[in-house]
Amino acid sequence: MEDLYTQNKDRILSVRDLPTLPSVLDQVTELVQDPSSSTDQVAKVISQDQVLSAKVLKMVNSPIYGFPRRISTIQHALVLLGFNVVRGLIISTSVFDIMAKSMMGLWEHSLGCAMACAGIARQAGFKDPEEYSVAGLLHDLGKVVSAVQLPEVKDEVDAAVREKDLSYYQAEKEVMGFSHDRINAWLSDHWNLPLRLREGLVWHHRPKSAQHYPDVACVVHLGDFMARVFQVGSSGDDQISYLDGHIFKVLKLKQSNLEKVMDELDREFAELSGFRPDQD
Amino acid sequence: MMKAEKHFFLISANAGLYQGFKDVYPEAQWTVFERGRGAIELIFNNPPDLLIVDSRLPDLGGTELIRIFKSENVYRQVPVIICLDREDIGPDLNLTEVEVDDFVMKPLDPDLTRIRLDLVMARASWELDASPLTKLPGNTSIIHKIQDMMDRKNDFALAYADLDNFKSYNDKYGFSRGDEVLMMTARIIVNTIRAFAGIESFVGHIGGDDFVFMVPPDQAENVCQILIRNFDGIVPNFYDQEDRDQGYIRSTDRQGNILDFPMMSISVAVVFNIDGELTHYGQASEIAMNLKKLAKQKSGSAYVLDRRKTA
Repeated sequence: MEDLYTQNKDRILSVRDLPTLPSVLDQVTELVQDPSSSTDQVAKVISQDQVLSAKVLKMVNSPIYGFPRRISTIQHALVLLGFNVVRGLIISTSVFDIMAKSMMGLWEHSLGCAMACAGIARQAGFKDPEEYSVAGLLHDLGKVVSAVQLPEVKDEVDAAVREKDLSYYQAEKEVMGFSHDRINAWLSDHWNLPLRLREGLVWHHRPKSAQHYPDVACVVHLGDFMARVFQVGSSGDDQISYLDGHIFKVLKLKQSNLEKVMDELDREFAELSGFRPDQD
Repeated sequence: MMKAEKHFFLISANAGLYQGFKDVYPEAQWTVFERGRGAIELIFNNPPDLLIVDSRLPDLGGTELIRIFKSENVYRQVPVIICLDREDIGPDLNLTEVEVDDFVMKPLDPDLTRIRLDLVMARASWELDASPLTKLPGNTSIIHKIQDMMDRKNDFALAYADLDNFKSYNDKYGFSRGDEVLMMTARIIVNTIRAFAGIESFVGHIGGDDFVFMVPPDQAENVCQILIRNFDGIVPNFYDQEDRDQGYIRSTDRQGNILDFPMMSISVAVVFNIDGELTHYGQASEIAMNLKKLAKQKSGSAYVLDRRKTA
């Protein structure tokens, strides 16, 4: 078991180039080439793609730039990297068409979760809702990475979800011995992502375990739940995740506070449903 | 900027080698020493633009001579090339230990040697004046750039930027985190200016928390505003959560007084040169230093434009 674990971890971390989705890529390329576009516009588009976002954050937090683990929003990362680097990142990005198809639902789910997290963070009165939104966007990154690096394992996980009526999270555990939250931890460390972001990525299934920044973990936990309730996209299964009541204490929210968030999300999700990454 | 004539030193007892280098680089002024010991004093007193050392010297090892030379910090910027024999090459050879900049092989291949020498020289000039931390051009390049723009009577806006409350940050969090802030500032200045497509610009690092940049006069105010917005947005990430939440650093001075230092901000003073009004670099820096006092009086990030002419 330990061998399989190490072996899988090594294969997952050997990821050189994560795939990204074509339409976002095209939009960013267009914006970056247009001299009148602002970093805000580019950041907004990049924030719709969890893989490209992860790359941008990985790069800005790499030791080369000299401020490891400090930058957790795409907007700030773009200011520090500059368009040249972003353009380079995009050029170096290999696009896997298969991924666009197989992860289609996950992409929408991630985007929905990102929106929900920003709404929740605003409602809770937290500063920098954008930061929570990034954590929401990236919370299932481990699933993307394992699907790319261990495709045969993904087939097994999918089969377990179908046949045993498990959640994707449970199925991953059964098949691999660990789940995407563990992969998120490896990626966060491997890529020097900020600790706040790491907490959201790693503990969104078990928010009680977040020691350093429970606020981020709790926001993502709730955001994930909301994206599922609204049935935005798919995160690999069709279940509603377990909602840990602990988060209401941490976020100092009542259930009634969430109604406002949900009304707003309803509108935003309606907008989202008109957007398809594979459209020309 | 190229000096008319480069002075190269070759230390080698091999007459054929000297002839080979001279054929490759006839325009340089060559000085040849057969023995290493005799060369040392002159190298230290009158360092060349390039030092080439034969690995086989009659009296002391070529690597030993290079090590003596490079161990002095003021000479480290002089590029040094070692000339190796085929037999020198092997698993035991480690040129990084002697800090040599490059090597060439005997017998010399004229074309390759020429390219090597050119590249080593160019690399040394690129690295010479750059700030080791931010890799931005340093004082020599800054002064040269400004004087050049004045001499050509080009219009420009010259901005001096520095950080407020950087010292208290450095004191509390230490030098390495202070350096992170300086690197961040450099990146923000460079990218903020670059975001204005097509404008001609220059960014330099004077040292410490002092930076300069040059943009067309009509862009200066816009650049300052965006620079400040970008800086103020990002700087809180460089504080620990606790300080970030309370919005200041608390520390004790030498008298034992408890002082609160606000978060770092950026102050920018902009001097304009229009219609060749300024003729000397010193004028620009003097005006800027006076303006900076005004910018510093304002709390938080601020910019001040030299309005004398625009009114």
